[in-house]
Amino acid sequence: MTASGALGAAAQVAVVGGGSPLLVGLMRQVRARMEGRAGAGVLQPWRDLRKLLRKEPITPAGTAWVFRAAPLVLAATVLVVAAVAPFATTSSPLDRIADLFAVAALLALGTVALALAGLDTGTAFGGMGASREMTVMALVEPTILLSVFALSVRVGSTNLAAIVGEAVRDPRAVISPVSLLAAVALAVATVAEAGRLPVDNPSTHLELTMIHEAMVLEYAGPDLALVEWASAMRLSVLLGLLTSLFAPWGITTGAGLAVLPLALVVFAAKVAALGVVLAAGEVFLAKLRLFRVPELLAGSFLLALLAVAASFFLG
Amino acid sequence: MNETTYVQLLDLACGVFLLAAVLVLWRRRLAAIVRLFAIQGAALAGLVAVLAVHQHDAELGAVAVGILLLRAIALPILLRRALQAAGETRETQPLVNVAASLLAAAVLALLAYAVTQPVVRLSPSPASHAVPVAVTVLLLGFFVLVTRHRALSQLAGFLLMDNGITAAAFLTTAGVPLVVELGVSFDVLLAVLVLQVLTTRMRAAFGSTDLDELRELHD
Amino acid sequence: MSVAGSAFTVALGLSAAAAVAGLAAPRRTRPLLVGLGTTAAGVAGVVAGVAALGGGSFSAWLPDLLPLAGVRLALDPLGGLFVAVTGAVAVCAAVYGVGYVAPNAVEDGSHGDGRAVQAMLPLFVAAMLLVPAAASVSTLLVVWELMALTSLLLVLAEHRRRAAVGEAARWYAVMTHLGLLVILAGLVGFAAAAHGESFAQLRAAAGGMSPAVRGAVFATTLLGFASKAGVVPLHVWLPRAHPEAPSYVSALMSAAMVNLGVYGVLRVGLDLLGGGSRWWWLLVLAAGAGSALYGILQAVVAVDLKRLLAYSTTENMGLVFIGVGAGGYFAATGSRVLAGLALTAGLLHLVNHAGFKTVLFCSAGSVLRATGSRDLDALGGLRSRMPVTTALFAIGALAASALPPGNGFVSEWLLLQSLVHALPTSATATAVVMPLAVAVVALTAGLAVATFVKAFGVGFLARPRGPGAEQARESPPSMLAGTGLAAIACVALAVAPAAVLPGLSRAAGAALGAGAVDSVHGPVTLRLTGFAGSMSPLLIAVALLAAAVGALAGVRSLVVRRARRVARLWDCGAGPMTARMQYTATSFAEPLQRVFDDVLAPETDVDVTPTAESAYLVERVKFQARVPDRIEYRLYRPVLAATRMVGEAARGLANGSVHRYLGYGFFAFTGLLIVLAVIR
Repeated sequence: MTASGALGAAAQVAVVGGGSPLLVGLMRQVRARMEGRAGAGVLQPWRDLRKLLRKEPITPAGTAWVFRAAPLVLAATVLVVAAVAPFATTSSPLDRIADLFAVAALLALGTVALALAGLDTGTAFGGMGASREMTVMALVEPTILLSVFALSVRVGSTNLAAIVGEAVRDPRAVISPVSLLAAVALAVATVAEAGRLPVDNPSTHLELTMIHEAMVLEYAGPDLALVEWASAMRLSVLLGLLTSLFAPWGITTGAGLAVLPLALVVFAAKVAALGVVLAAGEVFLAKLRLFRVPELLAGSFLLALLAVAASFFLG
Repeated sequence: MNETTYVQLLDLACGVFLLAAVLVLWRRRLAAIVRLFAIQGAALAGLVAVLAVHQHDAELGAVAVGILLLRAIALPILLRRALQAAGETRETQPLVNVAASLLAAAVLALLAYAVTQPVVRLSPSPASHAVPVAVTVLLLGFFVLVTRHRALSQLAGFLLMDNGITAAAFLTTAGVPLVVELGVSFDVLLAVLVLQVLTTRMRAAFGSTDLDELRELHD
Repeated sequence: MSVAGSAFTVALGLSAAAAVAGLAAPRRTRPLLVGLGTTAAGVAGVVAGVAALGGGSFSAWLPDLLPLAGVRLALDPLGGLFVAVTGAVAVCAAVYGVGYVAPNAVEDGSHGDGRAVQAMLPLFVAAMLLVPAAASVSTLLVVWELMALTSLLLVLAEHRRRAAVGEAARWYAVMTHLGLLVILAGLVGFAAAAHGESFAQLRAAAGGMSPAVRGAVFATTLLGFASKAGVVPLHVWLPRAHPEAPSYVSALMSAAMVNLGVYGVLRVGLDLLGGGSRWWWLLVLAAGAGSALYGILQAVVAVDLKRLLAYSTTENMGLVFIGVGAGGYFAATGSRVLAGLALTAGLLHLVNHAGFKTVLFCSAGSVLRATGSRDLDALGGLRSRMPVTTALFAIGALAASALPPGNGFVSEWLLLQSLVHALPTSATATAVVMPLAVAVVALTAGLAVATFVKAFGVGFLARPRGPGAEQARESPPSMLAGTGLAAIACVALAVAPAAVLPGLSRAAGAALGAGAVDSVHGPVTLRLTGFAGSMSPLLIAVALLAAAVGALAGVRSLVVRRARRVARLWDCGAGPMTARMQYTATSFAEPLQRVFDDVLAPETDVDVTPTAESAYLVERVKFQARVPDRIEYRLYRPVLAATRMVGEAARGLANGSVHRYLGYGFFAFTGLLIVLAVIR
């Protein structure tokens, strides 16, 4: 634990917290431009959050503490992951407390909180969103854990900092078959977890096509602001994990305080670039039927299994 | 008594014992079967008495008297009473006709001899040489039990079996403890009483004591 | 006598006293006396188990108690762990049971406070305490049968109220006795080959026996012990017996009795037989993996709350078997550190499961008693009517879904670590098996989350879906206390698992036949020995709490208007929604049921009744959908049908003729004599 490490963890949280609405705005702007629209601008999500915070807090009839607490749990899990993960520095003091399995489980905890909130409303839409989200999550878990397994074999540990540090030391390992297969598998899993096309359309208005939106349909005002912000942070954290694992350039492993701002800037740039690529790809994709999603996830599971096999036979 | 008298008396008792069993197989009149059973009971008692005198055992003598009372007197009286209640005098044609039964008896006797050879070899003595006779009576009793129609004849077969077992017990060992003999006798008495009741009931239900009538109860 | 010995004797004595009280006391004081006695026996059992875990063992030899063989008892760290777990569960279940058997307004009729049932409870606890302490084959078999009989009588407690109880008890009786037969065959064969029946003699002689004999012993005893642990395909008694038993009995059976199947495998396979070959443990691993997947799949689609929890027991025992199988496999291939880690993970999961399963079954019992229904489709809205029970169930559900900061997450993390670190230096078999095992554990974890979101969300949140749930009232204090004790244990295990780790290391070491294997250590952060890996459940919980508080403070500081308003739910403008429009448990699980359609094979039955006038007009449509237990259909029903056919064919042998029956006897007898004569 070093001063730069502690500062780095705090700075990561700040960057993720402040930058994730910007990331969402950037992705929407890219989509808009590619679709021939002017777009609302990159700062629009922050304007939306400010508007929502000024509105009257609403409690839907019949809901109770689970509904009120779920956005807090979601935000808490994402903040912890943002502090723990080695986005800008591998010497965070909190890095010892969690490894990739724990990070995946924390993200799952956030999803569960929202699902319970959806069920707590007692509406059919809430239940539908919760049911679909749980189905997707259950099928994504094997892919995530197997990819973690594949990445951990060469390093001998599932600790995030160890894996990222090893990748920083030996950049050529990123292009190995193990890494590439795991990257594709994790990319599909990230798309499913973040609720992006082709698994879920985040900008749909038809309730029957919603997965994530249906769970949060009843939130309004400041609660909705918290949920939106936490979801944006979740997206940036997931993309950040992808970049840290497979494009680790710019992450500091040492104790230098001076390189930290540069590392944060590089992290922001990498996540923004990945977000732009994702948004551009979404323009050409249509949402899959819900019962085709398991086929997609089964394909990613197969890739992850191949990654593990490759790590044994080739590593 | 001296050795030759002992052996002669023993062989006499065993011979009467076996002959009674064979005659039960041959005769068809139920009253004759009961009489033969009484004679066999007396022969058994005589056998045990001879053994008692030879071994100078008073308890065995008491057992001989008990056997005489039970198997030669009490049981035949009960059987005769059941016969009078049933009211019939002859056995119907048995499942296996008389000639075949006697042939079967010969085969069973040979089997008994073959099976008991190891026992005889174990401790050769006049008593153990007579064990095959007892086992033959056992098998003959079982055969009677299986091939007769009337309940009374089957009862006679069952009692023959028990006589054979008792004889084998006394011939191989120096007798069984008094308690065991009392228990076995009580069992036999109970069996006879139960079967007497059964015979009466059957007569009331079916009009005869042919056990094949019980087949009507099968569903 | 050592602490362990005296505490153990006290536990047995208190159980006997409680049983006598159950038989003799009048109805008013009977549950209280039995509950107190059983609780005290449980506490003494915990003390004995902890003392044995700490290194103080005891042994006893009572030659006159059992004819021919005598009773031999010995408590080592491995047995001590199971004694401690059983004692702890007994404490919670006994406290809970005091309130459960009291009459209440919803249900009438006998509640299981009859003399026989009340006396059986402490006897059941005593038998479960004795099984890990048995140190000879005959002792083990006798107390195993005692445990089976007492649990059977307890399952039958409510047979006057429902017909399904009798059927469930019949399945349970047959399967547990078949299991006993198989265990008896295996152990007696072992004792015969070893020329001695005490465990010390068996252990000494195992090295000299041929691998074929050892394999046969292991395979037969594995069948029996796996059936007791509820491992697929011998699990069919579990989802039948557990829902029909009273809830505190279900808690005892699920959280204490099934553990003894694992104990049997560890004791016979690892300790007595000395580890054996690799295919044994691959078999155990495969059985565990199949169980975990099948159990959680059935739990996901289960609508009866207690049946869901019973299948969850199958799943968790499958995970424990994965840990045990991996541990044995690593021990057989020579990596002792990995074996210790895998065994510790499996045993920690066993302990965690005992904790959260007790909480879950006790809460389910509270719900059943308050609403009169186990059907999730008819529950809901209990968070305002039964707030304490809801909170306790939430703790149990968090633990069961293996999410941080629950205690199930810690053991699952350890299990995954043990599987993941096997790969680098290993054979091809490991390279194939370990990824598949990780995949199974991962899929199971995901489905478990879905299951318990369903159970908690549909059963307790939103609005009541039926009249029973609407008039529910909170349970009496003793039931809350019993559940609360178990919940406190879960929370303690979640934030400070390092407290039980030294004991688990010693138990794993006793199973492996060495001293303590120190594979995980650390008061706050769990660190693996010999491998790189660390995780701190306490710090994760603290960090989550801090972040939540921070987020709340942040939002509060930014929010301008404070007064909350209650608003109508979004109903597309059609008017207020009724409680019937909520998602039910069946609808929640429907997507997953469709995905796993081939495995589950659900049955639907549509019955259309047309009107009398015309076949085209429908008067009534009846729709029925069920997910049966497919293994029961494919494996058990053919066997039962064949047995019935054989029985009916054998009826031809008995045609009513007395002569034929006598003839059977005669020919058998003379045939035997002829054979004897020829052979001699």
